[in-house]
Amino acid sequence: MRRQRVLFLKENYVLRVLKSFFLAGLFIIALLLVLVHKIDIGLVSGVSKGVLYIGAPLIHAISLPAEGLSYSYKKISEILYIHEENEHLRQENSELYLLKDRMRALQTENRLLKKLLHHIDVPQTNSYTARVIAENNSAFTNSLILYLGNASDFIKSGYAVVNASGLIGRIDIVSGKYARVTLITDINSKIPVISQKSRDRGILVGNNTRKMNLIFPPLMAELHKGDILVTSGVGGGLPPDIPVAKIKRAGVDNITAVPLFSLNELEIVKIIVYDIAPEKEVNKELE
Amino acid sequence: MSEIKNFCAIIATYIIPAISIILIDLLFYIPQSSEFWNLIRLIPFYTGIYFWLSQRPDAFNGVSAFLLGLFSDVISATPLGINIMSYLFLYFLSIRLSSYFNIKKFSYSWLLFSIAMLLTILFKFSIASIFHRTWIPLNLTMLEYLLTITFYPLLARYYMWIELRYIHLEDRYEKI
Repeated sequence: MRRQRVLFLKENYVLRVLKSFFLAGLFIIALLLVLVHKIDIGLVSGVSKGVLYIGAPLIHAISLPAEGLSYSYKKISEILYIHEENEHLRQENSELYLLKDRMRALQTENRLLKKLLHHIDVPQTNSYTARVIAENNSAFTNSLILYLGNASDFIKSGYAVVNASGLIGRIDIVSGKYARVTLITDINSKIPVISQKSRDRGILVGNNTRKMNLIFPPLMAELHKGDILVTSGVGGGLPPDIPVAKIKRAGVDNITAVPLFSLNELEIVKIIVYDIAPEKEVNKELE
Repeated sequence: MSEIKNFCAIIATYIIPAISIILIDLLFYIPQSSEFWNLIRLIPFYTGIYFWLSQRPDAFNGVSAFLLGLFSDVISATPLGINIMSYLFLYFLSIRLSSYFNIKKFSYSWLLFSIAMLLTILFKFSIASIFHRTWIPLNLTMLEYLLTITFYPLLARYYMWIELRYIHLEDRYEKI
């Protein structure tokens, strides 16, 4: 290939040295930012909030036409399959009627037993809905950006984000009317879970793929393929009993699980407001 | 008055490339309604940075790469600084490669981009793996890499259009 004499080759030496130092300077600033992020001081959160405040409305504006197209496509498919869906819903409805009676009986029994044992319930939770305006599912990060609207005043970092399938992730930062969510599959995500069946505990760790690892299970854990893992509520960050993942492989030294949600169904999500500080009534009971 | 106009023109020359990259990147953040489309993720930031640096180094500099990295880090929830470092690394590689090789020929430019991007992705992979103290899945990274270099001509065509339309009417490269 022919060697071309452009850019630096024509410039004088001083300018060239200065330019090299300028790039090195920017690189050092970037390195410092990484280190500051690792130490986790307030500066990073401030910068992130600022950039998200400008960037999120931009993404929202761009996603609006796509949202409209997707909505029309969905509506057309719904109309096409409306008969089949109706049949399916009728069948499901009759099954649910039977379950409803059984559930009512269990609820009453549960209430009586709780009273008998002086059981203290977990704090009451409120929830807000939010719309997903952007998703980033790459090898380096798994995150979402939500449009909170007027609910933004009530949302804080750490709150659980769920959909019909179960836990999706946790609120990372809130800026203006938008929030960034770290998905449970993200490499930074660590969720304390418990097996719905065997009640064995562990921590579900994401690695930016659909396969998550369960670490620190008990030595004699009875975990099997297909078991559902739910939030344990340990640490008080998340409400207990939210479905999180299904065990895919339960080996001796490696237990993997897949999340219950699918990325293509993330349109509208629910944010659970859960503060561990006990309510007044609970305080009185404790006293 | 003409001085203000000139100043605005200079600022616009720097802003347009950055905005063109951000706009195309944001398209890939739109939620997809099928699993298949969720798999097809390109990294237009790399194509943009390489294109503007190799074709119009007068309209793109280190500060632009730094700010784009910052934006990318925050929007994608990557640890702050990782994308900045990778874009600066690509900036450095692009400057070096474009000063040594004939990047006016599009096929050469494409080949050099694939080399520069591979090195940059491996650099980012190492930094992210060190940061998280665990290996980032390399298969997904490679899929993103292959898709990005495959669609490079398409993305380059978009940047060429932006350049011809908004920055300069100069025939600097051969037509794709």
